[in-house]
Amino acid sequence: MFLKIKHFKRDFNKWTVLIVAVSLFLAIPFFSILISLFRGNGEMWEHITTYFLFDYIKNSIILIFGTGLLTFTIGTSSAWIISRYTFRYKKIIEWLLFMPLAIPSYIVAYTYVGLIGNGGTFIEILRDFGFSVIRVEMMNIYGLIWVLSFSLYPYVYAGTRTIFQSYPSQLKHTASLLGVSNKKYFFSVALPLASPAIIGGLFLVFMEVLNDYGAAKYYGVSTFTTGIFRTWTALEDLQSSIYLSAILVILVFILVLIVKWLRGRRSYNLTQTNTNQKSTDNRVKISGLKKILYLGILLIPILFGFILPLIQLVIWGIQTFDSMFNNDLIILGLESLSLGLSTALLVVFLACLLIYLSKWNYLKRFNIFSKIATLGYVIPGAIIGVGIIRTSKSLTDLFSFQFDFEIGHLVYNSILVLIYAYLFRFIAVAYNSIEGNTLKIGNNLSESSYLLGYGKIKTFFKIDFPLLRSALLSSFILVLIDVMKELPLTLILKPYNLSTLAVRAYEYAEDERVAEAALPALLLIFLIGTMITLLNYKLRENKQ
Amino acid sequence: MIRTYTLLFAVLFAISCTNNKEGGIPEQIKEKESLTLYTHRHYDSDKLIFKKFEEKTGIKINVVKASADELIQKMETEGNQSPADLLLTVDAGRLVRAKNKDLLQSSSSDILNTTIPTHLKDSSNYWFGLTKRARVIVYNKNTVKPSDLTDYEDLVNDRWNNKILIRSSNNIYNQSLMASIIANNGEDSARKWAKGIVNNFARTPKGNDRDQVKAILANEGDLAIINTYYLGKLINSKDSNEVAAGNAVGIFFPNQENRGTHINVSGIGVAKSSKNKENAIKFIEFLISKDIQEIFAKANYEYPVNKDAQSSELLKSWGEFKEDNLSLTRLGELNKKAVILFDEVKWP
Repeated sequence: MFLKIKHFKRDFNKWTVLIVAVSLFLAIPFFSILISLFRGNGEMWEHITTYFLFDYIKNSIILIFGTGLLTFTIGTSSAWIISRYTFRYKKIIEWLLFMPLAIPSYIVAYTYVGLIGNGGTFIEILRDFGFSVIRVEMMNIYGLIWVLSFSLYPYVYAGTRTIFQSYPSQLKHTASLLGVSNKKYFFSVALPLASPAIIGGLFLVFMEVLNDYGAAKYYGVSTFTTGIFRTWTALEDLQSSIYLSAILVILVFILVLIVKWLRGRRSYNLTQTNTNQKSTDNRVKISGLKKILYLGILLIPILFGFILPLIQLVIWGIQTFDSMFNNDLIILGLESLSLGLSTALLVVFLACLLIYLSKWNYLKRFNIFSKIATLGYVIPGAIIGVGIIRTSKSLTDLFSFQFDFEIGHLVYNSILVLIYAYLFRFIAVAYNSIEGNTLKIGNNLSESSYLLGYGKIKTFFKIDFPLLRSALLSSFILVLIDVMKELPLTLILKPYNLSTLAVRAYEYAEDERVAEAALPALLLIFLIGTMITLLNYKLRENKQ
Repeated sequence: MIRTYTLLFAVLFAISCTNNKEGGIPEQIKEKESLTLYTHRHYDSDKLIFKKFEEKTGIKINVVKASADELIQKMETEGNQSPADLLLTVDAGRLVRAKNKDLLQSSSSDILNTTIPTHLKDSSNYWFGLTKRARVIVYNKNTVKPSDLTDYEDLVNDRWNNKILIRSSNNIYNQSLMASIIANNGEDSARKWAKGIVNNFARTPKGNDRDQVKAILANEGDLAIINTYYLGKLINSKDSNEVAAGNAVGIFFPNQENRGTHINVSGIGVAKSSKNKENAIKFIEFLISKDIQEIFAKANYEYPVNKDAQSSELLKSWGEFKEDNLSLTRLGELNKKAVILFDEVKWP
């Protein structure tokens, strides 16, 4: 005990205070939700457990497995081909593989029904040519797995590709010398080495799948998130829906533990290798049948995740162009973009702050606070919204009772609250990817810098910041994309004089006017697409 | 170095704070003549109507759009500091809930009292129906004779086995219909009814009301239960397939020999937190005036609550029908019961 206090006194510094303060500030909604758990479950809890809790769990598990398998297959295979082989139009294909991220998955769900649903565009074209078609029914759990997988695989593809590309060429040479076949090299060397990135990507996919609301609702699949909304709205039991969210969070924790366990077992390390000998220079050219096969593998996700939905959106967009295209739409686009840009900037800044504060803080036990601050990604957006509104209420009550000062209009219709909500929701996206990169950089450089007399902040700007640039940029863009696509939080918290493209598209789709939703969706895709292009270009530039 | 950065942040923070104040508070003080409307409706015609109101009275309508449940939750937590003046929803049930949660205030005027029929508003004037929509049966013109159709209750008949298309019980319109059946026939027979419908499902419920009609065109079922205005929108769609689907079906108003077809309203109430009650009432009066009611009817195929207003040509072509005069307050009271029954009979 004495020793501990001694340690505490020795290691306690201003960074410890700062990290606790910043984390607590960010995690306010989390604590607000946590506290409400102690009020007990709601009156409808028994009804929920009797009638549908089992179905929620079952469907969510099927979804996790299905999308996990599909995104893993698509993501790793395309990343492998891209990083190992060279062929014409590769740059375009590399870029197109990212593009499904630009379309919100509920929009993809609608476009599939527009394409191959009853009287869908595709079905009608085939019928015009005299083919009688057996229609594949999309609106069930398998269709949902399909839609979500093809719109979310880029999360797996992105990280895996980066790792594959960082393999030094000796690795492959050594394997060849030892008589390892290409196939075996992929399965027993390349894939296991990439497992942290793959698992990280899959984790993001699972979070998106568990949080999906629009697509599951439209396809009539009961998942945890649809259940949370049903409990809240139809059964009028917010308390039980917070309980359901808690179960969801527990499920996620189990997932995280499995991920940690998998990572722990397979801690391979490539940091010792000489970075000058990356495999980028000696990529294999392919030709003939193999080329067709490999290109086919790359084109499948592009086709199903991007081109087909885009075609349907364009058709709808043309149908509704006259009534939907106006200045409002452009202004809306600018609003979305500036909201996204400013939020993403703040998120990246705060993520960096948290990471470096926990580095500079010597009482490592306190770093758990920074982990709590990044929990927002696993809590359903609507529930975060409730947590934030409750906190705002306590705050305004405090002001009005203690100081007789009404701040309600500042809090309830304020863009600051919305941005704060985004911060809590998306900080994990930036945090995880930046943290991974800081671990790669290690402490040696910065410690040398301290020895040379530079302070911590100066060291950060002189040493770490330049090294982290591409990681910062890519997490900035990922957060930007997430913010621009975000729905439930934006709906609940946005001020009346502000709207986003995602919200506008959702409003029309919800009102069963999917065709009218197409133009806002297309503009959203265009803006996000531009961002992805920029990211792709910058990343390549940084590499060179 | 640290000092430079701290200073920089302090300056930036200060700038952002002052900016916020310029944009935030004085605006509210300057523009006294405005109303904040929390609405679940997101039709373009509504925007036009709000603009007309501003032109006429100089009162600006600030619109906050979200689902009614979210808005109610928002008003509840915001308490008496809520900026909301009015709550506009697409069903009566949510207004009843808002009233029960003490979020609305009673407000009346002669115009409101005389124009809106009693069963379409709250008995103590906490909320008022603005437009009506009926939940009707549409049938495949090729395979179903309208003379075979009678009541909602008849849909559980074996004759309709594997024929009925209807969306998920998550949908508020289905919940309202179920609530009306509970109110009229009692809980036990409502449960039996729901079970019968589940047995007669042509497929697992999915998609929205429009998708049910498209499924009739694709011969996946013969009957669908949908709201009237969706049919109007299908027939007037720019998508040729939607038009074909809309024209393939006939419309049938059930229960004409007894209580009448189930209707619901899009309705509005003055928020308890409102500090502009007079203007809020003025706005509601404006919404039920003849001209505005006709805009609702034409643009959105809804039935006006104002008797003087003409409904659109399409609605007229569907003919007059007898509507269920059940007080809509009952729908709100029984909504939760309806959902519980849906779960019990496994209506997804």
